[in-house]
Amino acid sequence: MDSLKEDLKKQIIEQLNLEDLTVADIADDALLFNDQGLGLDSIDALELIVLLEKYHGIQLTNPEEGKEAFRSIDTMAEYIRKRKAA
Amino acid sequence: MSVITAYCRLTEDVCAVNGEVKLRRNVALEDSWFKQIYRHFDFSYPKFYKMDKLSQAGFLASELLRKINPGIMGYGDDEIALLFANRSSSAETDQRFKDSYTSNSAPSPSTFVYTLPNIVIGEIAIRNKWYGENMFAVLPKFAPDFYKNYAQILTSSDSKAVLCGWLEVTAGNTDVFLFTVEEKEGGTEFSEENLFRLLETAATH
Repeated sequence: MDSLKEDLKKQIIEQLNLEDLTVADIADDALLFNDQGLGLDSIDALELIVLLEKYHGIQLTNPEEGKEAFRSIDTMAEYIRKRKAA
Repeated sequence: MSVITAYCRLTEDVCAVNGEVKLRRNVALEDSWFKQIYRHFDFSYPKFYKMDKLSQAGFLASELLRKINPGIMGYGDDEIALLFANRSSSAETDQRFKDSYTSNSAPSPSTFVYTLPNIVIGEIAIRNKWYGENMFAVLPKFAPDFYKNYAQILTSSDSKAVLCGWLEVTAGNTDVFLFTVEEKEGGTEFSEENLFRLLETAATH
């Protein structure tokens, strides 16, 4: 398993207090802000921004970037890799 | 006549609907008790995982009532009132929120949104698109007269049914009792005596 994706899942569970969820419950391509995915909302988006800075040292200031980056675990991992490579 | 048309009881280790035990807690499982119920009944509502324990309890019990009494969905979206109460308000989540900024230095927005007891009413209302009257009271103990009196007020105006609930969920104590009250012939009379009896016996068979 991609360790960045696994770390992201653990960090989301921790940051959003999703204590009943396990890493195995979150699919890499599940839509984070969709009722059929993780069902996150705007409050959780704030938490994800904090998470990026806290665990990965990345500041996300452009809302348009956030929309794409926070689609799924896959896109979050891709966004982190891109930002770190830049 | 006002009658109790369905009721659900959750305790620390029993989940019962209309007096029949549907599930017992399996202590061998790592899953929390509420997650065991969620999975056992194949509920699919990812927002469940974001809720605090109070809202999880209200969500589960209301879903179970919908299963056993689907007729409740036949009312107009503003014809079902929600009437809830408990003893400890949202104290457990309040403490967790306090811990989030005393031990981790940053207050947690996702915990903060649950630092009011009536959020559970919002969760149930959103889930079912019920936009009727609602109230959450903090009382010293389960008080049948509270439900009886307020339900009477609600049904004397525009409400045709009332989803009532006692939701006391604290560490080591799950004391949940939800019931629907409707205007129908037959069924269990909506009386203080019957509420006490159902509360005491609902999870014992």
